[in-house]
Amino acid sequence: MGRIVYAAAMSHVLSPDYYAKNVGPHGRAMVEALMDVVRDLGRAMLDRRPDALVVVADDHLNVFSFDAVPAFCVRIGQSVQKMQQDGAIEFDRALEDLPVRYPLHEDLANAILEQGLEAGIDFAASWSAPLDHAFLSPVSVLCGARPVPPLAPVWVNCFVSPQPTARRCFEVGRHLGRVIAQSPWNVAIIATGGLSHFPELSLARVGTSDVAFDRRIVRHLEGAEHEALCALTIKELHETGSHELLNWLVLVGAVSPARARVRFFGEMGRIDLAAVEWDL
Amino acid sequence: MSRYDVNVVLYRLKKDAAFRARFQGDPGGSLAGAELTDDERQAFVRWDTRRLNELGGSLHLLVSIPDLGAH
Repeated sequence: MGRIVYAAAMSHVLSPDYYAKNVGPHGRAMVEALMDVVRDLGRAMLDRRPDALVVVADDHLNVFSFDAVPAFCVRIGQSVQKMQQDGAIEFDRALEDLPVRYPLHEDLANAILEQGLEAGIDFAASWSAPLDHAFLSPVSVLCGARPVPPLAPVWVNCFVSPQPTARRCFEVGRHLGRVIAQSPWNVAIIATGGLSHFPELSLARVGTSDVAFDRRIVRHLEGAEHEALCALTIKELHETGSHELLNWLVLVGAVSPARARVRFFGEMGRIDLAAVEWDL
Repeated sequence: MSRYDVNVVLYRLKKDAAFRARFQGDPGGSLAGAELTDDERQAFVRWDTRRLNELGGSLHLLVSIPDLGAH
């Protein structure tokens, strides 16, 4: 019997230079403090020797265009490359010094995909999609100089309307939990992104976050109030800039009814940063 | 107004360096074949990123186009 041996969620722009430029010294200091916590989480994760690392994250119109936007997509194949973008913005410039190619856990990714379609969860599959900062920024900070476990990347459409509902994301997470439980593997799972930023995806509102909303989300996570999280509407997530919570909902579904412990929560103004670990 | 067509152009500006160079040299000419309304076309030609965002242009595309990103 397999099991989830580690679960955590965290913000995914782990770039001191980005926040120094856009927020100032306060932003740099806060994200550096978050990164110290994420390194700690990574040590705990790798000490449990996971056979695979499921990463649930979103695409920033780096990989999928408006030609086809999957609600959920599993990356299959033997290995995956980091995204390479000429003139990349700071988010993705953080990837420049990282290895180009990462191993995939092909059998786990195939099991998630195939058992999903059998169970009525119609994942898209990609053999070629590369990974951007939403995946590799947290993975690289978590693992540091240690080898990255074979990955099973899962994309959630957080940004292109219509998105999957919070409840549907939770159900996809339940599916991940079942697949892992029926597998022979010890699996770590992380979800990335957030907390609130870019409300309404409005350029005019870049630079603001919704602290009250984020405090409420953190309380729900700590209290394992998962029905309250499933009841969040896409409208609420859009208005508060909490689109990427959909990734977190997948993880919550995978580990429910576990309670979260908040390891970092920082109110930066432009975004609220967090790192959360689940007691399994 | 077509959210799709605006984003097709934005995505191409991000990913296609040759198209981006043509756009920077001659915005109107580079968009001659694009299916855009007058309002959308004007917003591109003026590179009015807020207007493009209001017209459905993806924030994540608008902030990440090399040399042109509004952030």
